[in-house]
Amino acid sequence: MLEIDVASLKMKSPLVLASGVLGSFSPSLSRVAEHAGAVVTKSVGLQPREGYRTPVIINTPHGLINAVGLSSPGCEEFSKELSKFRGDAKLIVSLFASEPDDFVKLSSYFDMADAFELNLSCPHVSDAGLTVGSDPELVKEIVEKMKSRSSKPVFPKLSAATDYIEVAKAAEEGGADGIVAINTLRGMAIDIGTRKPILSNISGGVSGEGIKPIAMKVVWDLYEELEIPVIASGGATTWRDVIEFILAGARAVQIGSAFFYSYRVFYSIKESLIAYLRKEKISLNELVGMAHKTV
Amino acid sequence: MFSMRIDKIIRHSDDVSTLFFSSRLRSYPGQFIMLNLPRYEEIPLSLSSPNSVTVRAVGETTYALIRLSAGEIVGIRGPFGKPFTPTDGKALLVAGGIGAAPLYYLHDYLKRRGAEVKVLFGARKAEELVWKDRFSVLMVATDDGSEGLRGTVIDLLKEEELQQYDRIYVCGPEEMLRKAFTHLKEKEVLGKAEFSLERYMKCGIGVCGTCILEDGSRVCAEGPVFSGKDLEGVEF
Repeated sequence: MLEIDVASLKMKSPLVLASGVLGSFSPSLSRVAEHAGAVVTKSVGLQPREGYRTPVIINTPHGLINAVGLSSPGCEEFSKELSKFRGDAKLIVSLFASEPDDFVKLSSYFDMADAFELNLSCPHVSDAGLTVGSDPELVKEIVEKMKSRSSKPVFPKLSAATDYIEVAKAAEEGGADGIVAINTLRGMAIDIGTRKPILSNISGGVSGEGIKPIAMKVVWDLYEELEIPVIASGGATTWRDVIEFILAGARAVQIGSAFFYSYRVFYSIKESLIAYLRKEKISLNELVGMAHKTV
Repeated sequence: MFSMRIDKIIRHSDDVSTLFFSSRLRSYPGQFIMLNLPRYEEIPLSLSSPNSVTVRAVGETTYALIRLSAGEIVGIRGPFGKPFTPTDGKALLVAGGIGAAPLYYLHDYLKRRGAEVKVLFGARKAEELVWKDRFSVLMVATDDGSEGLRGTVIDLLKEEELQQYDRIYVCGPEEMLRKAFTHLKEKEVLGKAEFSLERYMKCGIGVCGTCILEDGSRVCAEGPVFSGKDLEGVEF
Protein backbone atom coordinates (compact mmCIF):
# COMPACT_ATOMS: atom_id res chain seq x y z
CA MET A 1 0.00 0.00 0.00
CA LEU A 2 2.94 2.31 0.61
CA GLU A 3 4.89 1.36 -2.54
CA ILE A 4 6.31 4.36 -4.35
CA ASP A 5 8.85 5.01 -7.10
CA VAL A 6 11.54 7.60 -6.67
CA ALA A 7 13.20 7.95 -10.06
CA SER A 8 13.99 4.34 -11.03
CA LEU A 9 14.03 3.12 -7.40
CA LYS A 10 11.02 1.01 -6.60
CA MET A 11 10.60 1.36 -2.86
CA LYS A 12 8.22 -0.52 -0.60
CA SER A 13 7.55 2.62 1.41
CA PRO A 14 8.35 6.34 1.28
CA LEU A 15 10.23 6.14 4.58
CA VAL A 16 14.00 6.44 4.27
CA LEU A 17 16.68 6.31 6.95
CA ALA A 18 18.60 9.60 6.90
CA SER A 19 22.36 9.59 6.58
CA GLY A 20 24.48 9.81 9.71
CA VAL A 21 22.02 7.96 11.92
CA LEU A 22 22.60 4.26 12.69
CA GLY A 23 24.34 3.98 9.32
CA SER A 24 27.90 3.00 10.17
CA PHE A 25 27.34 -0.76 10.45
CA SER A 26 25.35 -3.34 8.52
CA PRO A 27 23.45 -4.81 11.51
CA SER A 28 21.70 -1.52 12.30
CA LEU A 29 21.09 -0.70 8.62
CA SER A 30 19.59 -4.17 8.11
CA ARG A 31 17.38 -3.79 11.17
CA VAL A 32 16.04 -0.38 10.15
CA ALA A 33 15.53 -1.68 6.60
CA GLU A 34 12.85 -4.04 7.85
CA HIS A 35 10.25 -1.25 7.89
CA ALA A 36 11.89 1.28 5.53
CA GLY A 37 11.75 1.83 1.78
CA ALA A 38 15.44 2.68 1.71
CA VAL A 39 18.32 3.29 4.08
CA VAL A 40 21.08 5.83 3.54
CA THR A 41 24.48 5.00 5.00
CA LYS A 42 26.76 7.27 6.96
CA SER A 43 28.75 9.41 4.49
CA VAL A 44 31.96 7.82 3.33
CA GLY A 45 35.09 9.41 1.85
CA LEU A 46 38.14 8.01 0.07
CA GLN A 47 40.34 8.07 3.17
CA PRO A 48 39.65 7.02 6.75
CA ARG A 49 38.71 10.02 8.90
CA GLU A 50 38.74 10.28 12.68
CA GLY A 51 36.04 12.87 13.10
CA TYR A 52 35.97 15.29 16.02
CA ARG A 53 36.56 14.61 19.70
CA THR A 54 33.52 14.04 21.88
CA PRO A 55 31.17 15.69 22.73
CA VAL A 56 29.97 15.38 19.15
CA ILE A 57 26.23 15.15 19.71
CA ILE A 58 23.89 16.92 22.11
CA ASN A 59 20.20 16.49 22.64
CA THR A 60 18.08 19.59 23.10
CA PRO A 61 14.32 19.92 23.67
CA HIS A 62 13.72 20.55 19.95
CA GLY A 63 16.21 18.20 18.33
CA LEU A 64 19.87 17.37 18.15
CA ILE A 65 23.04 19.30 17.40
CA ASN A 66 25.95 17.30 16.03
CA ALA A 67 29.48 17.83 14.85
CA VAL A 68 30.68 14.30 14.32
CA GLY A 69 33.05 15.54 11.63
CA LEU A 70 32.37 12.98 8.89
CA SER A 71 34.13 10.22 10.78
CA SER A 72 34.53 7.26 8.44
CA PRO A 73 36.59 4.10 8.10
CA GLY A 74 37.28 5.04 4.46
CA CYS A 75 35.74 3.53 1.32
CA GLU A 76 37.67 0.26 1.33
CA GLU A 77 36.74 -0.75 4.87
CA PHE A 78 33.21 0.59 4.53
CA SER A 79 32.50 -1.40 1.37
CA LYS A 80 33.46 -4.56 3.29
CA GLU A 81 31.07 -3.56 6.08
CA LEU A 82 28.23 -2.85 3.62
CA SER A 83 28.74 -6.17 1.85
CA LYS A 84 27.14 -7.64 5.00
CA PHE A 85 23.94 -5.64 4.50
CA ARG A 86 20.99 -8.04 4.44
CA GLY A 87 18.15 -5.59 4.66
CA ASP A 88 14.93 -5.72 2.71
CA ALA A 89 15.14 -2.11 1.48
CA LYS A 90 17.12 -0.13 -1.08
CA LEU A 91 20.65 0.66 0.01
CA ILE A 92 21.72 4.23 -0.73
CA VAL A 93 25.38 4.98 -0.06
CA SER A 94 26.18 8.55 0.93
CA LEU A 95 29.42 9.95 -0.50
CA PHE A 96 31.49 12.97 0.44
CA ALA A 97 34.46 14.38 -1.46
CA SER A 98 35.83 17.72 -2.67
CA GLU A 99 36.49 16.92 -6.34
CA PRO A 100 34.12 15.54 -9.02
CA ASP A 101 36.54 12.74 -9.92
CA ASP A 102 36.76 11.66 -6.30
CA PHE A 103 32.98 11.18 -6.14
CA VAL A 104 33.19 8.92 -9.20
CA LYS A 105 36.13 7.00 -7.76
CA LEU A 106 34.27 6.57 -4.45
CA SER A 107 31.17 5.19 -6.14
CA SER A 108 33.24 2.46 -7.82
CA TYR A 109 33.79 0.83 -4.41
CA PHE A 110 30.09 0.24 -3.79
CA ASP A 111 28.63 -2.33 -6.18
CA MET A 112 26.05 -3.23 -3.55
CA ALA A 113 24.54 0.26 -3.64
CA ASP A 114 21.12 0.70 -5.28
CA ALA A 115 21.71 4.45 -5.49
CA PHE A 116 24.04 7.19 -4.29
CA GLU A 117 23.38 10.24 -2.17
CA LEU A 118 25.90 13.04 -2.57
CA ASN A 119 26.63 14.85 0.67
CA LEU A 120 26.90 18.41 -0.63
CA SER A 121 25.67 19.99 2.55
CA CYS A 122 27.45 18.89 5.75
CA PRO A 123 27.79 22.23 7.58
CA HIS A 124 30.74 21.53 9.86
CA VAL A 125 33.63 20.25 7.74
CA SER A 126 35.68 22.86 5.85
CA ASP A 127 36.76 20.99 2.70
CA ALA A 128 33.62 19.00 1.88
CA GLY A 129 29.84 19.10 2.21
CA LEU A 130 28.38 22.60 2.08
CA THR A 131 31.65 24.08 0.80
CA VAL A 132 31.16 22.00 -2.36
CA GLY A 133 27.36 22.20 -2.39
CA SER A 134 27.20 26.02 -2.51
CA ASP A 135 28.76 26.11 -5.99
CA PRO A 136 26.12 25.33 -8.67
CA GLU A 137 28.69 24.79 -11.44
CA LEU A 138 30.68 22.35 -9.35
CA VAL A 139 27.51 20.50 -8.31
CA LYS A 140 26.49 20.18 -11.95
CA GLU A 141 29.91 18.83 -12.89
CA ILE A 142 29.88 16.28 -10.05
CA VAL A 143 26.45 14.98 -11.05
CA GLU A 144 27.35 14.85 -14.75
CA LYS A 145 30.47 12.83 -14.06
CA MET A 146 28.61 10.47 -11.73
CA LYS A 147 25.86 9.91 -14.31
CA SER A 148 28.31 9.34 -17.17
CA ARG A 149 29.89 6.40 -15.30
CA SER A 150 26.91 4.67 -13.78
CA SER A 151 23.24 4.16 -14.40
CA LYS A 152 22.44 4.13 -10.68
CA PRO A 153 20.27 6.95 -9.39
CA VAL A 154 22.15 9.90 -7.93
CA PHE A 155 20.55 12.12 -5.29
CA PRO A 156 22.44 15.25 -4.27
CA LYS A 157 21.61 16.32 -0.70
CA LEU A 158 21.39 20.08 -0.38
CA SER A 159 21.45 22.62 2.40
CA ALA A 160 18.79 25.24 3.11
CA ALA A 161 21.61 27.66 3.92
CA THR A 162 22.51 28.28 0.30
CA ASP A 163 20.73 29.34 -2.87
CA TYR A 164 19.14 25.94 -2.97
CA ILE A 165 16.91 26.55 -5.98
CA GLU A 166 19.87 27.53 -8.12
CA VAL A 167 21.96 24.58 -6.86
CA ALA A 168 19.08 22.13 -7.32
CA LYS A 169 18.46 23.33 -10.89
CA ALA A 170 22.15 22.92 -11.67
CA ALA A 171 22.00 19.37 -10.30
CA GLU A 172 18.89 18.66 -12.37
CA GLU A 173 20.61 19.92 -15.52
CA GLY A 174 23.56 17.69 -14.67
CA GLY A 175 21.22 14.69 -14.68
CA ALA A 176 20.40 14.20 -11.00
CA ASP A 177 17.61 11.68 -10.40
CA GLY A 178 16.22 13.55 -7.41
CA ILE A 179 17.12 16.05 -4.72
CA VAL A 180 17.33 15.40 -1.00
CA ALA A 181 16.56 18.46 1.10
CA ILE A 182 17.68 19.47 3.65
CA ASN A 183 20.85 18.74 5.63
CA THR A 184 21.35 20.02 9.19
CA LEU A 185 21.56 23.77 9.79
CA ARG A 186 24.47 25.43 11.57
CA GLY A 187 23.89 25.86 15.26
CA MET A 188 25.50 25.64 18.66
CA ALA A 189 24.86 25.41 22.39
CA ILE A 190 26.70 26.79 25.42
CA ASP A 191 26.53 25.19 28.85
CA ILE A 192 25.74 27.89 31.40
CA GLY A 193 27.40 25.96 34.24
CA THR A 194 30.83 25.53 32.67
CA ARG A 195 30.23 28.66 30.48
CA LYS A 196 31.72 26.86 27.49
CA PRO A 197 30.41 25.72 24.10
CA ILE A 198 29.40 22.09 24.53
CA LEU A 199 30.53 20.57 21.22
CA SER A 200 34.28 20.06 20.86
CA ASN A 201 33.95 21.65 17.40
CA ILE A 202 32.14 24.63 19.04
CA SER A 203 29.33 24.57 16.48
CA GLY A 204 27.56 21.83 14.56
CA GLY A 205 24.44 20.97 12.61
CA VAL A 206 20.93 21.19 14.03
CA SER A 207 18.49 18.40 13.17
CA GLY A 208 15.17 17.17 14.51
CA GLU A 209 11.77 18.74 15.08
CA GLY A 210 13.11 22.29 15.33
CA ILE A 211 14.12 22.46 11.67
CA LYS A 212 10.98 20.90 10.17
CA PRO A 213 9.31 24.17 9.07
CA ILE A 214 12.51 25.23 7.31
CA ALA A 215 12.77 21.89 5.50
CA MET A 216 9.06 22.14 4.59
CA LYS A 217 9.58 25.44 2.79
CA VAL A 218 12.57 24.11 0.85
CA VAL A 219 10.64 21.01 -0.23
CA TRP A 220 7.73 23.24 -1.25
CA ASP A 221 9.98 25.50 -3.34
CA LEU A 222 11.85 22.64 -5.01
CA TYR A 223 8.59 20.91 -5.93
CA GLU A 224 7.53 24.08 -7.75
CA GLU A 225 10.86 24.51 -9.53
CA LEU A 226 12.00 21.00 -10.46
CA GLU A 227 10.82 18.12 -12.63
CA ILE A 228 12.80 15.50 -10.69
CA PRO A 229 11.49 14.06 -7.41
CA VAL A 230 12.21 15.64 -4.06
CA ILE A 231 13.13 13.58 -0.99
CA ALA A 232 12.40 15.44 2.23
CA SER A 233 14.78 15.41 5.16
CA GLY A 234 14.57 17.54 8.25
CA GLY A 235 12.78 16.88 11.49
CA ALA A 236 10.15 14.31 10.48
CA THR A 237 9.27 12.61 13.76
CA THR A 238 5.65 11.47 13.49
CA TRP A 239 3.43 10.13 10.70
CA ARG A 240 1.77 13.56 10.52
CA ASP A 241 5.15 15.10 9.66
CA VAL A 242 5.59 12.53 6.89
CA ILE A 243 2.16 13.33 5.39
CA GLU A 244 2.93 17.03 5.65
CA PHE A 245 6.19 16.64 3.69
CA ILE A 246 4.40 14.55 1.05
CA LEU A 247 1.72 17.22 0.68
CA ALA A 248 4.53 19.77 0.23
CA GLY A 249 5.84 17.68 -2.67
CA ALA A 250 8.14 14.97 -1.30
CA ARG A 251 7.99 11.49 -2.86
CA ALA A 252 9.97 10.08 0.05
CA VAL A 253 10.74 11.28 3.54
CA GLN A 254 13.94 10.70 5.48
CA ILE A 255 13.90 10.13 9.22
CA GLY A 256 16.94 10.26 11.47
CA SER A 257 16.92 12.18 14.73
CA ALA A 258 13.59 10.56 15.67
CA PHE A 259 15.54 7.44 16.62
CA PHE A 260 16.27 9.35 19.80
CA TYR A 261 12.69 8.44 20.78
CA SER A 262 12.48 4.84 19.60
CA TYR A 263 14.16 2.16 17.49
CA ARG A 264 10.61 1.26 16.37
CA VAL A 265 9.89 4.65 14.83
CA PHE A 266 9.78 3.30 11.24
CA TYR A 267 7.39 0.54 12.19
CA SER A 268 4.99 2.82 14.00
CA ILE A 269 5.02 5.49 11.30
CA LYS A 270 4.55 2.86 8.59
CA GLU A 271 1.50 1.38 10.33
CA SER A 272 0.05 4.85 10.92
CA LEU A 273 0.51 5.81 7.26
CA ILE A 274 -1.35 2.69 6.15
CA ALA A 275 -4.19 3.49 8.54
CA TYR A 276 -4.32 7.09 7.30
CA LEU A 277 -4.43 6.12 3.62
CA ARG A 278 -7.21 3.60 4.32
CA LYS A 279 -9.25 6.05 6.31
CA GLU A 280 -8.83 8.85 3.76
CA LYS A 281 -9.27 6.45 0.81
CA ILE A 282 -6.39 8.07 -1.02
CA SER A 283 -3.09 6.88 -2.49
CA LEU A 284 0.39 8.16 -1.75
CA ASN A 285 0.84 9.19 -5.38
CA GLU A 286 -2.23 11.41 -5.20
CA LEU A 287 -0.97 13.04 -2.02
CA VAL A 288 2.42 14.05 -3.41
CA GLY A 289 2.40 17.83 -3.77
CA MET A 290 -1.36 18.04 -3.21
CA ALA A 291 -1.06 21.17 -1.07
CA HIS A 292 0.18 23.07 -4.12
CA LYS A 293 -3.17 22.59 -5.87
CA THR A 294 -5.01 24.38 -3.10
CA VAL A 295 -3.18 27.70 -3.42
CA MET B 1 23.38 18.85 28.78
CA PHE B 2 23.54 20.27 32.27
CA SER B 3 26.46 20.64 34.62
CA MET B 4 27.14 19.62 38.19
CA ARG B 5 29.75 20.34 40.77
CA ILE B 6 31.95 17.56 42.10
CA ASP B 7 31.36 17.60 45.86
CA LYS B 8 33.71 14.91 47.02
CA ILE B 9 36.21 12.44 45.62
CA ILE B 10 37.39 9.13 47.05
CA ARG B 11 40.75 7.91 45.74
CA HIS B 12 40.41 4.15 46.11
CA SER B 13 43.78 3.35 44.56
CA ASP B 14 46.35 4.75 42.13
CA ASP B 15 44.02 4.42 39.22
CA VAL B 16 40.45 4.30 40.59
CA SER B 17 38.37 7.12 42.09
CA THR B 18 34.73 7.74 42.91
CA LEU B 19 33.41 11.20 42.04
CA PHE B 20 30.33 12.43 43.93
CA PHE B 21 28.06 15.02 42.30
CA SER B 22 26.34 17.87 44.12
CA SER B 23 22.92 16.29 43.62
CA ARG B 24 21.34 12.94 42.97
CA LEU B 25 20.30 11.98 39.46
CA ARG B 26 16.86 10.51 38.92
CA SER B 27 18.13 7.16 37.75
CA TYR B 28 18.13 3.37 38.12
CA PRO B 29 21.05 1.01 38.69
CA GLY B 30 22.64 -0.08 35.42
CA GLN B 31 22.09 3.26 33.70
CA PHE B 32 24.98 5.42 32.55
CA ILE B 33 25.71 9.08 31.97
CA MET B 34 27.75 10.87 29.32
CA LEU B 35 30.21 12.87 31.40
CA ASN B 36 31.97 15.78 29.73
CA LEU B 37 35.18 16.95 31.32
CA PRO B 38 35.88 20.41 29.88
CA ARG B 39 39.06 20.51 27.74
CA TYR B 40 38.98 16.70 27.59
CA GLU B 41 36.38 14.34 26.14
CA GLU B 42 32.85 13.26 26.85
CA ILE B 43 32.75 9.60 27.93
CA PRO B 44 30.09 7.10 29.02
CA LEU B 45 30.26 6.07 32.70
CA SER B 46 27.99 3.80 34.73
CA LEU B 47 26.47 5.35 37.82
CA SER B 48 27.86 3.76 40.99
CA SER B 49 25.09 5.42 43.05
CA PRO B 50 22.44 8.05 42.23
CA ASN B 51 25.10 10.74 42.66
CA SER B 52 28.41 9.15 41.74
CA VAL B 53 30.56 7.48 39.13
CA THR B 54 33.47 5.16 39.88
CA VAL B 55 36.19 5.53 37.29
CA ARG B 56 39.35 3.67 36.38
CA ALA B 57 42.09 5.56 34.53
CA VAL B 58 42.47 3.96 31.12
CA GLY B 59 42.97 6.99 28.86
CA GLU B 60 43.59 10.72 28.82
CA THR B 61 40.14 11.76 30.02
CA THR B 62 39.74 9.12 32.74
CA TYR B 63 43.31 9.85 33.92
CA ALA B 64 42.35 13.50 34.40
CA LEU B 65 39.01 12.55 35.96
CA ILE B 66 40.41 10.46 38.80
CA ARG B 67 42.66 13.40 39.76
CA LEU B 68 39.92 16.06 39.80
CA SER B 69 39.48 18.16 42.91
CA ALA B 70 36.22 18.82 44.70
CA GLY B 71 34.54 21.98 43.45
CA GLU B 72 35.18 21.38 39.76
CA ILE B 73 32.28 21.41 37.32
CA VAL B 74 31.56 18.65 34.82
CA GLY B 75 28.95 18.40 32.06
CA ILE B 76 26.39 15.62 32.23
CA ARG B 77 23.91 14.15 29.75
CA GLY B 78 21.60 11.38 30.88
CA PRO B 79 21.07 9.11 32.68
CA PHE B 80 20.59 6.91 29.63
CA GLY B 81 20.10 3.24 28.85
CA LYS B 82 18.16 0.28 30.10
CA PRO B 83 18.70 -0.49 33.79
CA PHE B 84 18.92 -3.84 35.59
CA THR B 85 15.61 -5.59 36.35
CA PRO B 86 15.28 -5.59 40.13
CA THR B 87 14.23 -8.46 42.38
CA ASP B 88 13.18 -8.63 46.01
CA GLY B 89 14.20 -12.28 46.25
CA LYS B 90 17.69 -13.74 46.13
CA ALA B 91 20.25 -11.95 43.98
CA LEU B 92 23.76 -12.89 42.89
CA LEU B 93 26.04 -10.08 41.71
CA VAL B 94 29.14 -11.07 39.74
CA ALA B 95 31.74 -8.30 39.40
CA GLY B 96 35.05 -8.31 37.55
CA GLY B 97 37.44 -5.41 38.29
CA ILE B 98 35.98 -1.98 37.58
CA GLY B 99 32.85 -3.81 36.38
CA ALA B 100 31.83 -3.51 40.02
CA ALA B 101 30.89 0.16 39.39
CA PRO B 102 27.19 -0.27 38.45
CA LEU B 103 26.87 -3.14 40.92
CA TYR B 104 27.57 -0.88 43.94
CA TYR B 105 24.43 1.03 42.99
CA LEU B 106 22.48 -2.17 42.26
CA HIS B 107 23.59 -3.72 45.58
CA ASP B 108 22.23 -0.82 47.65
CA TYR B 109 19.07 -0.61 45.56
CA LEU B 110 18.26 -4.32 45.93
CA LYS B 111 19.01 -4.30 49.68
CA ARG B 112 16.58 -1.42 50.14
CA ARG B 113 13.93 -3.47 48.36
CA GLY B 114 14.55 -6.27 50.85
CA ALA B 115 16.43 -8.60 48.53
CA GLU B 116 19.00 -11.06 49.81
CA VAL B 117 22.18 -10.07 47.99
CA LYS B 118 25.43 -11.98 47.56
CA VAL B 119 28.41 -10.60 45.67
CA LEU B 120 31.24 -12.42 43.88
CA PHE B 121 34.08 -10.02 43.16
CA GLY B 122 37.23 -10.85 41.21
CA ALA B 123 40.29 -8.79 40.27
CA ARG B 124 43.93 -9.25 39.35
CA LYS B 125 45.20 -8.40 42.85
CA ALA B 126 43.93 -7.33 46.28
CA GLU B 127 44.32 -3.56 45.65
CA GLU B 128 42.00 -3.85 42.64
CA LEU B 129 39.12 -5.12 44.75
CA VAL B 130 38.01 -1.52 44.87
CA TRP B 131 35.55 -0.37 47.57
CA LYS B 132 34.77 -3.97 48.47
CA ASP B 133 33.36 -3.03 51.90
CA ARG B 134 30.41 -1.51 50.02
CA PHE B 135 29.25 -5.12 49.61
CA SER B 136 27.83 -6.79 52.71
CA VAL B 137 27.89 -10.48 51.73
CA LEU B 138 30.99 -10.97 49.64
CA MET B 139 33.34 -13.61 48.25
CA VAL B 140 36.50 -12.52 46.48
CA ALA B 141 39.04 -14.01 44.11
CA THR B 142 42.35 -12.60 42.87
CA ASP B 143 44.54 -13.83 40.03
CA ASP B 144 47.66 -13.67 42.23
CA GLY B 145 45.98 -15.02 45.37
CA SER B 146 46.74 -11.84 47.35
CA GLU B 147 43.19 -11.96 48.72
CA GLY B 148 40.48 -14.60 48.79
CA LEU B 149 40.52 -17.48 46.33
CA ARG B 150 43.50 -17.68 43.96
CA GLY B 151 41.72 -17.69 40.63
CA THR B 152 38.99 -15.74 38.89
CA VAL B 153 35.45 -14.71 39.68
CA ILE B 154 34.35 -17.42 37.24
CA ASP B 155 35.88 -20.01 39.60
CA LEU B 156 33.72 -18.53 42.38
CA LEU B 157 30.69 -18.60 40.11
CA LYS B 158 31.23 -22.29 39.36
CA GLU B 159 31.01 -23.04 43.10
CA GLU B 160 27.56 -21.47 43.38
CA GLU B 161 24.32 -23.40 43.43
CA LEU B 162 22.67 -21.17 40.81
CA GLN B 163 19.14 -22.52 40.98
CA GLN B 164 18.58 -20.79 44.33
CA TYR B 165 18.89 -17.28 42.87
CA ASP B 166 16.02 -15.28 41.41
CA ARG B 167 18.36 -13.04 39.45
CA ILE B 168 22.03 -13.07 38.49
CA TYR B 169 23.72 -9.82 37.45
CA VAL B 170 27.10 -9.77 35.71
CA CYS B 171 29.42 -6.87 34.90
CA GLY B 172 33.12 -6.94 34.04
CA PRO B 173 35.61 -7.19 31.19
CA GLU B 174 34.47 -8.83 27.95
CA GLU B 175 36.35 -12.07 28.43
CA MET B 176 34.83 -12.53 31.89
CA LEU B 177 31.36 -11.74 30.53
CA ARG B 178 31.74 -14.38 27.84
CA LYS B 179 32.93 -17.01 30.33
CA ALA B 180 30.10 -16.17 32.71
CA PHE B 181 27.65 -16.34 29.81
CA THR B 182 28.92 -19.78 28.78
CA HIS B 183 28.67 -21.11 32.34
CA LEU B 184 25.19 -19.69 32.98
CA LYS B 185 24.01 -21.08 29.65
CA GLU B 186 25.35 -24.53 30.56
CA LYS B 187 23.50 -24.36 33.87
CA GLU B 188 20.35 -23.23 32.01
CA VAL B 189 19.89 -20.07 34.04
CA LEU B 190 20.38 -17.50 31.23
CA GLY B 191 16.73 -16.50 31.54
CA LYS B 192 17.33 -14.91 34.92
CA ALA B 193 20.76 -13.50 34.14
CA GLU B 194 21.55 -9.95 33.07
CA PHE B 195 24.82 -8.65 31.62
CA SER B 196 26.01 -5.07 31.53
CA LEU B 197 27.99 -4.44 28.32
CA GLU B 198 30.52 -1.78 27.52
CA ARG B 199 31.11 -0.26 24.07
CA TYR B 200 32.68 2.89 22.69
CA MET B 201 29.85 5.43 22.37
CA LYS B 202 29.55 8.88 20.89
CA CYS B 203 25.96 10.00 21.44
CA GLY B 204 24.52 7.83 24.22
CA ILE B 205 21.03 8.38 22.82
CA GLY B 206 20.65 5.77 20.10
CA VAL B 207 21.34 7.81 16.98
CA CYS B 208 25.01 7.72 16.05
CA GLY B 209 25.26 3.96 15.53
CA THR B 210 28.71 3.54 17.09
CA CYS B 211 27.79 0.90 19.70
CA ILE B 212 25.87 -1.56 17.51
CA LEU B 213 25.88 -5.29 18.32
CA GLU B 214 25.68 -8.05 15.72
CA ASP B 215 21.89 -8.23 15.94
CA GLY B 216 21.52 -4.47 15.42
CA SER B 217 20.90 -3.65 19.10
CA ARG B 218 22.28 -0.37 20.37
CA VAL B 219 24.28 -0.83 23.59
CA CYS B 220 23.37 2.73 24.65
CA ALA B 221 19.62 2.29 24.20
CA GLU B 222 18.54 -1.38 24.17
CA GLY B 223 21.39 -1.87 26.69
CA PRO B 224 23.79 -1.46 28.36
CA VAL B 225 22.00 -4.14 30.40
CA PHE B 226 20.94 -7.13 28.29
CA SER B 227 19.18 -10.26 29.44
CA GLY B 228 21.06 -13.51 28.85
CA LYS B 229 18.34 -14.59 26.42
CA ASP B 230 18.83 -11.43 24.31
CA LEU B 231 22.52 -12.21 23.93
CA GLU B 232 22.09 -15.78 22.71
CA GLY B 233 23.72 -16.10 19.33
CA VAL B 234 25.15 -12.57 19.53
CA GLU B 235 28.91 -12.10 19.52
CA PHE B 236 29.82 -9.72 22.39
